[in-house]
Amino acid sequence: MTLQLNEIKISHDNQPLFDSLSIIIKKGEIATVMGPSGCGKSTLLAAICGSLSQDFQLSGDILLEGNSLIQVPMELRKVGILFQDDFLFPHMDIGSNLAFAIPQGVPAKERKLKINKVLEKAGLKGFYKRDPATLSGGQRARISLLRSLLAEPKALLLDEPFSKLDKALKEQMRSYVFEQVREMNIPALLVTHDPDDNAGDQVVNL
Amino acid sequence: MINRRENRLGYFPRIMIWLFSLFIFFGLAGTWLPSFGYLPIIGNTEFSFKPWHDFLTYPGFLNSLKSTLISGLGASLTALTLAIGVVSLSYGNRAWSLFEKFLAPILSIPHAGFAIGLAFLISPSGWIFRFISPELSGFVNPPDWAIIKDGFGLSLMFCMILKETPFLLLMIMGSLSRIDIQGTLAVGRSLGYNKFQVWFKVIVPQFFPDIRLPFYAVIAYSLSVVDLAVIIGPTAPPTLPVLILQWFNDPDIAMRLTGAAGACFLLILVVLIISLMFLLEKATVVILSKKAVDGKRKSILSHITRVSDLTIFSFLFFTIMALAVLVVWSFTWRWRFPDVFPESWSLLFWQKSFMKVKDPMLITFVTAFVSTIISLILTIGCLEYELTIPKEKLTNDLSRLIWFLYLPLLIPQIAFIFGVQIILTILGLDGLWITLALSHLIFVQPYVFLTLSSIYRNFDIQYTNIGAILCGSYLKAFIFIKLPMLMRPVLFAFAVGFSVSVAQYIPTVFIGAGRFATITTEAVNIAGGSDRRVVAVYALYQLLLPMTLYLLAIFAPKIAFRNRKKMQV
Repeated sequence: MTLQLNEIKISHDNQPLFDSLSIIIKKGEIATVMGPSGCGKSTLLAAICGSLSQDFQLSGDILLEGNSLIQVPMELRKVGILFQDDFLFPHMDIGSNLAFAIPQGVPAKERKLKINKVLEKAGLKGFYKRDPATLSGGQRARISLLRSLLAEPKALLLDEPFSKLDKALKEQMRSYVFEQVREMNIPALLVTHDPDDNAGDQVVNL
Repeated sequence: MINRRENRLGYFPRIMIWLFSLFIFFGLAGTWLPSFGYLPIIGNTEFSFKPWHDFLTYPGFLNSLKSTLISGLGASLTALTLAIGVVSLSYGNRAWSLFEKFLAPILSIPHAGFAIGLAFLISPSGWIFRFISPELSGFVNPPDWAIIKDGFGLSLMFCMILKETPFLLLMIMGSLSRIDIQGTLAVGRSLGYNKFQVWFKVIVPQFFPDIRLPFYAVIAYSLSVVDLAVIIGPTAPPTLPVLILQWFNDPDIAMRLTGAAGACFLLILVVLIISLMFLLEKATVVILSKKAVDGKRKSILSHITRVSDLTIFSFLFFTIMALAVLVVWSFTWRWRFPDVFPESWSLLFWQKSFMKVKDPMLITFVTAFVSTIISLILTIGCLEYELTIPKEKLTNDLSRLIWFLYLPLLIPQIAFIFGVQIILTILGLDGLWITLALSHLIFVQPYVFLTLSSIYRNFDIQYTNIGAILCGSYLKAFIFIKLPMLMRPVLFAFAVGFSVSVAQYIPTVFIGAGRFATITTEAVNIAGGSDRRVVAVYALYQLLLPMTLYLLAIFAPKIAFRNRKKMQV
């Protein structure tokens, strides 16, 4: 299970955003792409997860477990993504937010059980019926990560996920995310401008 | 990926554009040809200028043109001035926030019902005179004054001002949401300009381009309105659109040709006046853009904030009182002039009318419901399509689309709906309910699109993207994430579209071919009747449907998301 970028190039109006990028990320590994804001880091992630706007032109190949993702629609790529904003669905309670991510075919009872289990593990026991808007920033960030992972992605993209948290929380959340990704044993790609975010695996500068 | 969605969604804008084009093209053709004497279904196949000649030499033509111009131009220019003045002077103060709250319900009131209430309020035997008589005015009997249905169309103009100013204000508010008002005011005032000067020199020029088309729609509407003019406009002769309608309905079938010539004349008139307004705007911009940087910090206008607040209060006064007098009349048994309240009350007229309005209410409801649902689907389909195409291409598409959307509002209804009816008759499709619903759709669609589009476009697509990634289906994310999150604006757009359909008069009369009576056509038909109690009941029935929908649009999301803080606005 690897995520492989082969000579990825993204252009806008025929202006390339960065030099062509190639990287191989093994399972359980968290690769870091570093670069100042505006260098096209988020655009790179959009290209990988499939939400790249048609205003951009993409060349090169993206392979997940050896299969090219280029022609696969976003929703079928099985590539999860996490942003600095939590994007919890404001009209659903925490439980429904998480249930939304669980693949179909899992019976209702089991879904509920599973959700309660991950909530408990995350130290958020009894949060099933809570309104996302009433949670703290750190709690929301954790739920958002749990939600991404419940969809059972085959790779995870992290778009500056810690930049909005305060210093103490950042530290906590960082180790929490890294721990979860390693436990899931999937390749992960983190983009950031903060050198502290690096997970100890390979680092690419854009 | 996105391309596949693009192909499927591409049908929505295409359907919309085809539907609009068909209606307008055949509508105009079906009006212009008869205006030159060509109408095979009544046996006229010779082209001639006789219809135009008959129309232009009609004895009442000049008087009719005069009252049409006074009421139509007077109403649209006054409404524009008031709307810009009120927003510049009162924005953000207490009177404004009161007005903001009432804006949606005010706009939901169908024109016909409102005009009936207003007539009951301001006529010589109306409520206002009953309040001040006989003590203040000395009248024991209603004075013999032509306050309503006056020959100049002033009462008609007044009624339209009351309805159109809030409409333009709503359009301005939509545009203002894109401008940082507080920031602009702070910068402007720190440069030594007072609040009104900042509005006048900096903010109005920013939003005016956005209300240009709505203003043109107001002009077209004011010059061609029929139902209001029947209720509260001049009578001998009536305004041009009413005159044209009378010819279209004349027992002498050849008069339809004269009517067609009149309808085409009305279209030319509207086009000319809109062009004139366009030139006037350009001239004003040239003059005012110099004035904007002349450095003057003072203006006498800044001292008339009170006048602006007073305008707001009088709007609220007339609207609320017009509704109140309808309610009072509908429960009246005996009410003599100059008593302030009825002598005796009764439920009789509500009871008597119930059986009579049942069918028209049902037709009104089903037609409004179906046309608005189709319109919502088309609108959302078009807006989703927008998301799949590159931005550069989009800006071109959009500027064209917006003109297209406004087209049915810029062409006088009577100038193409008659033509549509002619074509439908030739095709043997006249008097079908489905064509009636489609004709309503043409007028519902612009409003639904304009109400929904800006909020819909502002929706953060990351929510749908993340939803799609999480559940593996874009459609599912759209249905369970995007639509519920947009429930408020979608329901609001539904209520707007619904009330537009309910208020349609001309399309219902023509396309329905007299086979479908809605509560609006019924109310307009009996408005001239002498029994105010019956008329009041009908007018209230007409208000009932849109009001209910607006209440639903306001309260349903509140209840559904009562435990969701971020969904409360």
